[in-house]
Amino acid sequence: MTTTRTADLELPEEIELQLEVANVGSRTLAILADLGICGTLLLSVYLLTTLFAQAAGDSEVTRIGSHLLTIVLLVLIFAAQWVYFGVFEWLWNGQTPGKRLLHLRVIKVDGTPVSWIDVMLRNLSRPIDAFGPMGLIGLLMIFVTPRAQRLGDLMGRTLVIHETPIDWSIFDEAGAEPASLVTAPSIRLTSAQWELLHRFLNRRPELPRDVRTRLASSVYASLKPLALGTDLELSKLEPEEWLVEFARRT
Amino acid sequence: MTLGTFVRKNRPRWQQLEGMLDLMEGRAPRSRERGFLQELSAAYRATTGDLAFAQTHFRGTTVLLFLHQLVARAHNQIYRARAVTLVEVGNFFRKEIPQAARYHLMAVNWAALIFLTGLMLGLSVVQFDERAASMILPTPVLDSIYSGHMWTGPLFSVVPAPVASTYLFTNNISVALLAFAGGLSFGLISFWILFFNGVMLGVVFKLCANYGLLGPLLAFVATHGLLEISAIIVSGGAGFVVANALLRPGDYSRRDALAIQAHSAVRLAVAAIPALIISGCLEGFVSPSTLPTGIKIGIGLAMGGSFWLYLLGGGKKAAAKAGP
Repeated sequence: MTTTRTADLELPEEIELQLEVANVGSRTLAILADLGICGTLLLSVYLLTTLFAQAAGDSEVTRIGSHLLTIVLLVLIFAAQWVYFGVFEWLWNGQTPGKRLLHLRVIKVDGTPVSWIDVMLRNLSRPIDAFGPMGLIGLLMIFVTPRAQRLGDLMGRTLVIHETPIDWSIFDEAGAEPASLVTAPSIRLTSAQWELLHRFLNRRPELPRDVRTRLASSVYASLKPLALGTDLELSKLEPEEWLVEFARRT
Repeated sequence: MTLGTFVRKNRPRWQQLEGMLDLMEGRAPRSRERGFLQELSAAYRATTGDLAFAQTHFRGTTVLLFLHQLVARAHNQIYRARAVTLVEVGNFFRKEIPQAARYHLMAVNWAALIFLTGLMLGLSVVQFDERAASMILPTPVLDSIYSGHMWTGPLFSVVPAPVASTYLFTNNISVALLAFAGGLSFGLISFWILFFNGVMLGVVFKLCANYGLLGPLLAFVATHGLLEISAIIVSGGAGFVVANALLRPGDYSRRDALAIQAHSAVRLAVAAIPALIISGCLEGFVSPSTLPTGIKIGIGLAMGGSFWLYLLGGGKKAAAKAGP
């Protein structure tokens, strides 16, 4: 199990929210995706500009066109550096295309949505956070601070959370399956154990063989004690078949 | 209730809430009807109930995680910041920026002092030994000055004014924003930007004076120089506010002081942006032109002067009106 850091927020409804703070890996990937988008756009406009510049000189129209393209390119270079992140995070409620791809979102530390000043502050400090090899300053800050805030996050009072996508199909499957055909006494699982079991059984067909057996034995090991006193206790089935049988008795 | 039945029973409501949130995240709720908002609030409250139930009965499940996130998302929309209105943008520029400028005047003064120190140093270094200029200025500029010509002439005859202006103002805004963000380096980067720009200007002035180019240089710099330098100084001053919060947080924790001061000082960095767009356009269109130097100095003084008048005097009437 990897340790995930959580941020606790208290809502006016007196509910304590626990959100998962995004880790360094996904934040880096999100930045790479955003840089990729900016880079592709800049490169294509740059190529277009050079093509135009070569054709220019023939007529007034192509020359003006070439100048316009140069201006567009200059503005885009500026925007990629200073505007892109801020404007997306402002208009998309804390997300850039890269963050959306990786299910990340910027929120204020008290859980409320970010305002334009917050996102501006957290993005103006990017050059400082990116200082050193591979953005060393920002990386260190993310590791050191309890809620993984880089300097810009501290300045803007923001944090980046990860929104876990949920596999809903396990609930449909469980409902569709007929209740146990065996008349053995049913086994009580906690809801976390129930999810563990059904997420494994549901993912089973997509897994490569070695991962499948490894996961099966690890799930088997953690659920085995629950089968004490039932007919499964001394069963000689392979872990995977054992789990299928086990699921029928719950 | 088992987890399965809990999900099957309540998931339609969560999906309904998700659908409404998808709608709202695109647009401000103003455009929605009253019924929609009531429905949203009902779905939100019911879901917070589900969350409380799940917190008691389904600890450690992904469903609980999902409910945490869904409630956070809905909470975000229900308590969202009001959409930015034109009135607020107007107030921001008319009142908040000048008020912040007066509030942080001390830091701006320090920034100006550092720039002027650099300027003096640049002047005296060249006075002392002309060869020092070769360490600071690029070779083409040096060669051009030594041969008694301004380096700006050929440059601006090749590049059309709109392109040059765009290049100049995007570049200058980057410098100004960096001077603000540089406050996070305990002010070192802000200091360096202000100081180095001062030294450069000093060196250029003294060197041009030595080669009889003071007239042409003044004719070039007069229009945009004052406004451009003022904007960089103001932004660097904002950087010093941030640095000061880090170094001397006072009654607050360092973390709180940083956030509070940065939220207030960023207004100065924002003020620099339009000023630098204007100064960039002046530098691209007017500075290389053959207008009489007197008119250029007039424009320059008017521009720089009104920038400072705006920062030091703006929003006072409004503040007095709002007072008791």
